[in-house]
Amino acid sequence: MAGLGFVTRIAPRDRAIVVIFLRGGADGLTLVAPVADDAYHRARPTLRVREQDGVRLDDVFALHPRLAPLVPLWASGELAIIHSVGSEDATRSHFEAQDLMEHAGTAAGGWLGRFLRLRAIRQPGALSAVAFGTELPAALRGAPSATVLRSLGTFSLGDGAQGMLRALADLYAIEHNALGQAAGDTVDALRRLERLASAPRPITAADYPRDDFGEALRQTAQLVRAGVGLEAATIDLGGWDSHFTQDQLLEPAMDRLARGLAAFRRDLGPDMARTTVVVMTEFGRRVAENSALGTDHGRGSVMFALGGGVLGGRVLGGWPGLGPDALEGPGDLPVRTNYRNVLAPILTTMAEGSVVSRSFPGFSLDPIPLVG
Amino acid sequence: MITRRHFVELGSTLAAASAIACEEVPPQLESLLTSADPVSPPATDDVDLVSHVAGRLSFGLRPGDHARIRSVDPDLGLAVEHYVDAQLSPDAIDDTAAEARLRRYVELDESPGELYEYKEQVLLASLTSAAILRARYSERQLHAVMVEFWTDHFNIDSGKGDCRWLKAADDRDVIRTHALGSFPEMLRASAVSPAMLWYLDGRVNRYGAPGDRPNENYARELLELHTLGVHGGYTQQDVMEVARALSGWTVRSRREVVFGLGKVEFHPEWHDDGEKHILGRVIPAGLGSRDLDAVMDLVSLHRSTAQHLATKLCRRFITDDPPATAVDRVATAFVSSRGNIASALRTLFATPEFTRVRRTKLKRPFHFVVSAMRATEARTDGGPALHEMLRRMGHAMYQYPTPEGYADHEASWLGTLLWRWNFAAALAGNRVDGTRVEPAALRRTLGGEDGLRAHVLGRRPTAAERDIFAAAADSLPLLLASPAFQRY
Repeated sequence: MAGLGFVTRIAPRDRAIVVIFLRGGADGLTLVAPVADDAYHRARPTLRVREQDGVRLDDVFALHPRLAPLVPLWASGELAIIHSVGSEDATRSHFEAQDLMEHAGTAAGGWLGRFLRLRAIRQPGALSAVAFGTELPAALRGAPSATVLRSLGTFSLGDGAQGMLRALADLYAIEHNALGQAAGDTVDALRRLERLASAPRPITAADYPRDDFGEALRQTAQLVRAGVGLEAATIDLGGWDSHFTQDQLLEPAMDRLARGLAAFRRDLGPDMARTTVVVMTEFGRRVAENSALGTDHGRGSVMFALGGGVLGGRVLGGWPGLGPDALEGPGDLPVRTNYRNVLAPILTTMAEGSVVSRSFPGFSLDPIPLVG
Repeated sequence: MITRRHFVELGSTLAAASAIACEEVPPQLESLLTSADPVSPPATDDVDLVSHVAGRLSFGLRPGDHARIRSVDPDLGLAVEHYVDAQLSPDAIDDTAAEARLRRYVELDESPGELYEYKEQVLLASLTSAAILRARYSERQLHAVMVEFWTDHFNIDSGKGDCRWLKAADDRDVIRTHALGSFPEMLRASAVSPAMLWYLDGRVNRYGAPGDRPNENYARELLELHTLGVHGGYTQQDVMEVARALSGWTVRSRREVVFGLGKVEFHPEWHDDGEKHILGRVIPAGLGSRDLDAVMDLVSLHRSTAQHLATKLCRRFITDDPPATAVDRVATAFVSSRGNIASALRTLFATPEFTRVRRTKLKRPFHFVVSAMRATEARTDGGPALHEMLRRMGHAMYQYPTPEGYADHEASWLGTLLWRWNFAAALAGNRVDGTRVEPAALRRTLGGEDGLRAHVLGRRPTAAERDIFAAAADSLPLLLASPAFQRY
């Protein structure tokens, strides 16, 4: 099946990446369950996804029913799943694992910030890198500029913004130089955003989950469609640390994730071809469920990749199985694929290979065949 | 006539006055500012000498600064000379009012070991607030400007390893201590600064058994960035030899010890004590820790170092691509003064290029934000709202990841206009948490709308500008967002 990138030619400089981080260690074995593996059902007598409930993906895996909104994206070949994926950090500590994953090693700055700086495709603009939330994620540290936003409403120039913008356009028009040019671009970007905000949308806001996550996705789509130079956006989605009563925690979280992504896909339309969404988490959970109907910190989990260039409809990463020999440490799904080898092929659609390898210093990349 | 000393005192009175509570302009300040002359802004069509020089040596003029500088001497040239002289000797400037605002940041006075007692986020926030408050309130403006300059020159990302705790000590003991002093002393302090030993991996530059490869990170940046410059005439062999000479210097870290954290030590057993060949000179075997001094002597006053630093200084104070004539004079002054930073600057400020080339530099975001607060006499706590604005503009303090520091070229900052306009509107509209302006009082003290415009622009507006300002509902945000105010 052909992913979106296969049918359209998009220049690397016009592509953007959206990184969704599932904070808390999402249970890959629930999101994408190995329903054909008896060991799975034995280890998860209560929490398992039963074969008849899941949405069958291939001979091994089924998608959790709450992720059903993703099925059309899988069927169209736009969505790929990577299983048994994670980082080399084996501390099973949220902080340590997130820290390592976002910095990608001991170098200063985060992997995404480094990538954007090395990519250097244009003047970094006010909206080149946007983090939705209240603080800058470590992954974006070191970006040429990074904006932390709760909402695009933050742009307001206050009362009389229209008049001020007109006056600024006039003032900077006097400057026949790079500054005047930059001002022209800025005024243009602001006006495009405004037009988009007031224009009727192909889908309504109601199609997105009504929460911060849905709103962040909606505004990310708005930025992509407005063509204001967005290169990267990061969105956090919490609620995955399921030590007890896992189903009650994960079901609404999966619901938000799947509905959000499906709405984002519909909202973007043809612009999805130049946008890649990657969903990641710091680690997976112990294979065996615990006595509190939950699971404890483990190692390998899943990642999702959606959109431009992705050759989807496949579960990648190499499944190690859940036999006793396959498990790691206290009984955890091992990490078969380092998360960098999932990010690298996506970044390779956006910049030269040398830029990508320098974004992950001290690591020898072996990218998985994720994009075409 | 009013003496210079009188104006220094007046300056500190003003600063003290503005330190007083928030709700309204204190009456004594208002009377000072509205009295006949002291506030009168420039009255020329071009940026005049006072606005130009003070704009370059400071983070921007406050209401009254222009008149204050001018009134020291009826000869404008001499008045400006007085100002430059005073700024070059910061210790002689009374700065008690600004110091008073910084007293709350007691953690920034702690020894490296004690810094570990604080949360890293607290230290970064305090450092950032202190930098903003100094730039906003200090009378030692040139010192504050040079602190910003050296912070980039000896860049340390406070996010790397134990720099999270130790950058505060580096800021105090390396950057601020030597900002207008001796470059060789600053360089040596930086070489053995615990934060720098972390940031550029000097602490793990160890020579154990023959065949061990030293860690070259610091050695390379020392030559490429801190001293000679990338085309300064050194070779890869020189980098390796410098790394050998500096092997054995380390800093006690959390993973290794419990006591004496942040303490810098020389371990002879990790030092390669053989003979080294650096920049065509021989450092004999057996010098041990004194290899460090030998390296410092070779590089700190090297002609390439002088040229490299002079270029960067002229870039900061004249224009992005500074004229060679000025650079050469500054480099010569640097060498003949044995690396005295104030002497090099004195020469720079005396070049015709410095006087002639005006308003060519784009303010970097920190400069822009602080200058807007100074121009409006804003009262500020230097707090998180400002830190966030700086991050949006790509200028998060002490967080540039790679050793070259934030760029001092216009091209790097052209993408920040949207957030500058946003800040101008928020500041003028009192929508920045922890920061407050009094637009009506500001206009009054500057003698009305015309005075405000001339004060912010550093000159009278052009006819085209005048029409645009006149049509605006509120000119203050527009003035601060204007192209003229983005430059210095």
